[in-house]
Amino acid sequence: MGDKQTPRKLFDGFINAAVSIIDSPVTWFRERVVTPNRESYPWYHQKFRRVPTIDECYTDDVICFYEANSQFKRDKAVDSEILAILRIRMEDCNMFHGPDAVAKCKSLVETYKEAEGNWFCKYGDLGFHGNVKDAYMKQKHRMVWERRHGPVGSGMRDAAAAAGDE
Amino acid sequence: MYYMKYYSHTYKFPAQQIRCGGGHHKEMFITPSRFQWNKCKDMVHYYVFLGVIPLSLITFFVNIYVGPATLTPIPENYKPKYWEYYRHPVTRFISRYIMPNPQMEYERHMNVLHEEEERRQLYLLEKKVKQLMAERSDYQAYYYSPNTAIKYYRKMKEVKKEENDRQGDNL
Repeated sequence: MGDKQTPRKLFDGFINAAVSIIDSPVTWFRERVVTPNRESYPWYHQKFRRVPTIDECYTDDVICFYEANSQFKRDKAVDSEILAILRIRMEDCNMFHGPDAVAKCKSLVETYKEAEGNWFCKYGDLGFHGNVKDAYMKQKHRMVWERRHGPVGSGMRDAAAAAGDE
Repeated sequence: MYYMKYYSHTYKFPAQQIRCGGGHHKEMFITPSRFQWNKCKDMVHYYVFLGVIPLSLITFFVNIYVGPATLTPIPENYKPKYWEYYRHPVTRFISRYIMPNPQMEYERHMNVLHEEEERRQLYLLEKKVKQLMAERSDYQAYYYSPNTAIKYYRKMKEVKKEENDRQGDNL
């Protein structure tokens, strides 16, 4: 900004000088000492093969159960990270817009709420020792309940109506 | 002597005064305990010279001269080694030279599970056989009592079964 001879240029200059007291030695060290002496080498993101899930295992097949359980735990970790990313996006949007967030962040909030509901559907309420068999039984119970009473969230029907529809 | 300034008087044993008679007396210097100070110096020497300084030097030089890895996609037809899935060089070192291969441990564990399950099935089979032997008393093994009346017992069992079949349950 050569033509701005106003105090703004001086202020910028002052702030830049104040920051560079700390920044320039660090940057010098990094560029002159650290970077030339390092050779870059790779690391990779591990990809696991998909193995048969719990519904494809026989009841007495311990190995199949162990592999399905390991896959379940990995999937749970990945899904938790995905949910955390969606949550961060929603919270950043809410914090940035403040009072306008109700109108401006609607899609992000909806996406997050749906993802949270789905996460709870699959992994929630299983407890610390919950394994893949518990999750499978939870799904089975939910499907039976939905068959009797309609979608989750629409309330229970009384026994006669439920039995009649089934 | 450095301890003189802490304790100016010393205790002289009267017996040795008599025995020595004009020579040098054996003196016991009573001083406060130097144990805590010596122990403190020992601990400082141990934790700083064997802990702080070597580990700081290692950390400093590893981070500057080796540095963390860069994340790259896995190239075609290349299977990365199990330590190449970590970023920091110290973690890679620990994974490579100290910790076992996770895939090997996974497969070993599955083998153990399989063997234990086979043993368990054999145990359940044995248990069922014993239970049947207890119920039927028809095998010369567990629950065997050398009972010469067993042949009559078996005959009566057949007779009763035939009667029950003929008469039915609704008597």
